[in-house]
Formats: sequence, structure tokens, C-alpha cells
Amino acid sequence: MGGVGDDEPASKRMKLSSEELRHLSNGSTLKEPIVRSTRDLMARPLQSEGGEEVFGPKGIIKKVEFVRIIAKALFSLGYVKSGAHLEEESGIALHSSLVNVFMKQILEGDWEGSVVTLNNIGLTDEMTIKSACFLILEQKYFEFLDEEKVTDALKTLRTEISPLCINDSRVRELSLFIVSPSRCFSVQSPKQDTSRARSRTKLLEELQKLLPPTVMVPERRLEHLVEQALVLQRDACMFHNSLYKEISLYADHQCARDQIPSYALQILQVHTDEIWSLQFSHNGKYLASSSNDCSTIIWEVDANGVSLKHKLSGHQKPLSSVSWSPNDHQLLTCGVEEVVRRWDVSSGECLHVYKKAGLGMVSCGWSPDGNWIFSGVNDKSISMWELDGKELECWKGQRTLKISDLEITSDGKHIISICRETAILLLDREAKVERFIEEDQTITSFSLSRDNRFLLVNLLNQEIHLWSIEGDLKLVSKYRGHKRTRLIIKSCFGGLKEAFIASGSEDSLVYIWHRGTGELIEALPGHSGAVNCVSWSPANPHMLASASDDRTIRIWGLNKPSTKKKDTHSNGIHHCNGST
Amino acid sequence: MGRLFVVNLEGKVYSCKHCKINLALVDDIVSKSFQSRHGKAYLFSKVVNVSAGEKEDRMMMTGLHTVVDIFCIGCGSIVGWKYEFAHEKGQKYKEGKSVLERFKVSGPDGSHYWVSHETHVGGSDADV
Repeated sequence: MGGVGDDEPASKRMKLSSEELRHLSNGSTLKEPIVRSTRDLMARPLQSEGGEEVFGPKGIIKKVEFVRIIAKALFSLGYVKSGAHLEEESGIALHSSLVNVFMKQILEGDWEGSVVTLNNIGLTDEMTIKSACFLILEQKYFEFLDEEKVTDALKTLRTEISPLCINDSRVRELSLFIVSPSRCFSVQSPKQDTSRARSRTKLLEELQKLLPPTVMVPERRLEHLVEQALVLQRDACMFHNSLYKEISLYADHQCARDQIPSYALQILQVHTDEIWSLQFSHNGKYLASSSNDCSTIIWEVDANGVSLKHKLSGHQKPLSSVSWSPNDHQLLTCGVEEVVRRWDVSSGECLHVYKKAGLGMVSCGWSPDGNWIFSGVNDKSISMWELDGKELECWKGQRTLKISDLEITSDGKHIISICRETAILLLDREAKVERFIEEDQTITSFSLSRDNRFLLVNLLNQEIHLWSIEGDLKLVSKYRGHKRTRLIIKSCFGGLKEAFIASGSEDSLVYIWHRGTGELIEALPGHSGAVNCVSWSPANPHMLASASDDRTIRIWGLNKPSTKKKDTHSNGIHHCNGST
Repeated sequence: MGRLFVVNLEGKVYSCKHCKINLALVDDIVSKSFQSRHGKAYLFSKVVNVSAGEKEDRMMMTGLHTVVDIFCIGCGSIVGWKYEFAHEKGQKYKEGKSVLERFKVSGPDGSHYWVSHETHVGGSDADV
């Protein structure tokens, strides 16, 4: 049998199938680095048709380019000798000798010489040559001005720059520098307040960007490629949820599942009826839960876990939603078709009750400056109030539905609510412009991302849709798996960089998807009733809370050894029943 | 049972007899000539606030159909069925539409329907 002999180094030896060996029996031997895929052995010779040598297992890296960007990286790292040695040993020069001359001329300020060299380098695009000349001559002009050689500068502008006939507006700007020298401050960086010309190294960098990469390899090209690969790996990592996980170059990045909160660390059992709404404060230090029992509970989150802070009673109807003030000092709660109450978080006192005669409120939200509150009303309008109760504005018409959520973007400009069975209204209250997300299924709830660029929409048919709302409204992703047939089930964004989507479900599980890939990564059992709402801590990517018809809240976290606490049960789950 | 997601219909509405949740609009009636084991039944193009049971193949008066029973989300009582697939070409128009039993709903004026003494032995379904 032909093929590989035993005296070949182990790395070059390859297991060939007997079929392949038959093909090689014409006597050819393997001398080049072996392509690992056995298919490629027959499919393609190691030199591509273009006559360019390729490198690497897939045979798609051009060897010359590869060596040049490595050389560039070596020079950038300061290893000049190594870089030069690489050029010599490979026989591949980073830059042609003309380009080296050009670079030297720029750094030495030999403007005429550099322009001549530029024209000889072999660029084909007229525009590129002119633009590069423009940059060089602009530098020459500024250096003259710095040296107070005004006539020389003027001559350069008139006889060399203008005739290029490009970028006329810049030419006019340049002429103003002679007329009023003090204008330079607006153009150059504040640090260079005495010199108008930037450094020649910077000029070289600008020229490098302008010239084609075959002539001058772009700066930091190898670093860019490596970073690109790392970012792609990180984005594809479905369990990436920790800030300090460094990405190594030695192996493809893939987190284990252990960074996703999937262990019930605490069960909070204080509410006396179903819990319908749940929300962490912006700083993650508090959690608010509101229930069918007409009360809202503020929980405190600290290193020891979650404990009861205040029980807010006063509503006569079940609570539909809560909303934290931007500074987390106050909380709004809304009773179903009832009133909106504003509470002080540290004292637990009710500060104000907002009501409208003959009507009932259905939702509540804060303006981002904390000075106004908004509420949806059961006559389909949306009202805006001053904190002291004065109604400032009312958007009438088909603006919101009785079951709708209400969100205000952090620039204070947009109000978002479900206005029709299958549509969400994004109302720009200043520009008085309305945009609509149109679905072909009934919308049951929605959630706004922290960066206000995305909206998570829950539909009647058990799908969750992710919409991009910045610029054009676009459907980005769909998430499936949870159960919803009768109830309002809420979902949320969460985790590091909001890379995950979590949702409640009627089958009592908590569902977690990877936002980017849409993959379902967890369905957490534990609750004994429908999970109505979930909230992921904005401050702690490893803490997720869920609220259920079983009257409990579960705090989910990572599997850590249980800390010593007096009232910890033996199974490691800390039950909190509100007793102090 | 959680916070029910209830669609509120506007206009003349048929509601669940027991819990008053809106089920369908008079305007969405396609045919009044249907019947069920409890007497009269109407075919609607759109029904809301119901949940569906398991798919079943049922032999009805007009032939074999794949249907799901539909239940009021408020009280869980069965209110009718929905046609998922009609095996006969002539019956295709029923696909996607739902039948509500008149006995199970209150009419737009609040009226109820009482099963007559002559019980239908034939079963459910009918044509337009």
C-alpha cells in the first residue's frame, strides 16, 4: 500500500481509508503539511488555481497575506528584529521597497518625494492617489503655518492643493486658517493648542487607511481578526453569563451551564393569594411583588439573600402591576381597574393615590426624571400626572387596553402600550408620532429591554417575539416552548448584557432561552402552580426571581455551597415566611 | 387560577352562560343552521377567550372532521368545538371556524336558550 510511511513525524501521519490509499497508489508521496479532512485530499491540490499558496486546515488562508499580517503584528508589538527576520526567512516583505521609501519620506517630511513615490507605487484608482496627495499636502500646509511661513503655506494651498480639484469645502476651510489663526482650536484636539499640524505618525495612519491593503497592510489587522473570532465565540456561547470569564486563545470559548441561575436558593412565602407581578428595582437592591391578595410586598436583597421589608396594603382590588421610580426611592402600584398608589420605599408609607372619577386605572409607569407618572385608564386613554396628583395630559382614543402593560423609554419620549388586540402603540409624545408593531396574533403582554432598543412581545399562540424598536420596527427572534392558554404570562430580559430571555409558564416551569440563538436552555421545575411573572436582577446576572399562583416567589441562583444561617433548612433552600 | 387574559369584544356579544366572559360577536356568525347535542348551535368565524382540547377525528352529520373541543377560559365549561381540518372538500369552508352551542351562551340581550323536549338524536354538525 502506498501513502504514508512510519518514518513520518506523528503529526504528519494521517489515517487514510483503504479507498484513499488506492488512489494514492500511483506513487505520489505526501510532503506538504497535510490537510486534515480526508475529503480535501482528493478534492483540491494544496496550491489553489490562482497560483497563491494557501495555509491552514481549510486551505482558505493565503500564505503571503498571513505572513504579512504576522510581520505587521510583530512590528506593532515592538519586535522589530523578529519582524525583519520573518521577512527575510519567508522571503515575503511586509511592504514593497517603494512603500518603505514612501513611509520614510512621510516621517521625514519629504513631501515632494512622497508625492512622487505615491504616483509610482502602482495605484490604479485616480481618486485614491488624489486623496492621498491631498492629505500629504494638507500636512505640508499646516507645518508651514506652525513655522509661521505664511507665504509658503499660501503657495502650497494655491498651487498644489487647489489644482487637485477635490474636497473644495475643505480647501475653503484651510484658507480660513490663514485669515483667522485662532480658528484652529475648533478643528484640532485640545491638547495640540500650539501646533496645528498633527503628528506625522498620525498622517501615516490616515494614509494607511486610504491606500489599498495590498499596498499597505492596515494597522492591527491580525489583532482585529483574532478579536473578531473571540467575539463570535462569545456571542455563540449560550451560557455566557459572567463578566470575568476571560476568553483564552488556546481553546474555543464555551461556558458550562453553571453560570445560569437554575437552583432555587430561596422560597418566599408571605402573600396569601396568587402573585401576578414581580419586578427588581433598577439597582437590584429591592424586589417588589404584587398579588391577587390586594397587597404589594417590598423585599430587600442583600448578601444574605432576600428578606421582607414592607407589606403595602391599601388597594381594594388585586394588583395588576408595579413600577419603580428611576431612583428606586418610590414605587407605583396599580389595582385592576382601580387606583394607582405611590409609596415611599424606605418607610412603606403611601404618599399619594391617583384616581379618575368614574374610571379605573389599568397600568402605571414613571417618567425617567421621576417628576411625572403615567397611567393607562379603562376608557382606553393614557393619563400623565404630576406627583401631587394634578393631571397634566390625557391621550384619548384607542391608546391602551384593559390588560395592557405600560412602558416609558428612558429618554422620556416614548410611551408604549397595547392599543389593539394585535398591535402595540409606540407613541412619541413630543413629536406626536405614532408607530405600531403589528402582529397577526393577539398580544397578551410585553417587556422593554433596559437599553430601550428591543421589545419582547408575548402572544396568544404561545410564542414570544423579539422586536427591534430603534429605527425601523423589525421582528428579530422568536422563542417557543412555554405554555400559555388562559393567563397573562410575563417574560423578561436578563443576564449579562441581557443575553437571555426568561418567561413564566402555565405548566409551573420557569423557561430560559439564549436570546441570540433562540435556544431553550432551561425549564426550571419547582413551583406548584402557573408561573405568572419573572424578573431578572439588573445588578446581579446570577439572580432570577419568579412568582406563581402557588403564592410563592422563588429566587433562583447558581449552585453555591450553602452559607451557615440559623434558619436554613437542611435541603439548602432558605424559606422566608415573613416572621422576624 | 392566575390573571386571566381576557379579550373584551365590542358590539353585540355572546358570552359564557356561567361566567359572562365574552366569546363571540353577533357580526361574526357565519351560519345559524348548526346543531349539537344540546340543540341549536351557531358557526362563528372568530371566537375568543377559549382554550382548546386535544385534536380528535369525529364523524359528524356532514362527514369526517378533525375538531378540538373549546372551553371557556373563565370557568372551564365546554362551549363548543373548532374545526381544524375537514376531510371532505365541500366542508373545507368550516376550517378555522368555531361552533358555539346556543345552550352554553347568553345572547346579546342576555337571553338564554332552553333545550327543547324533542331532543336531537342525530348528533352534531350541519351545513349552511
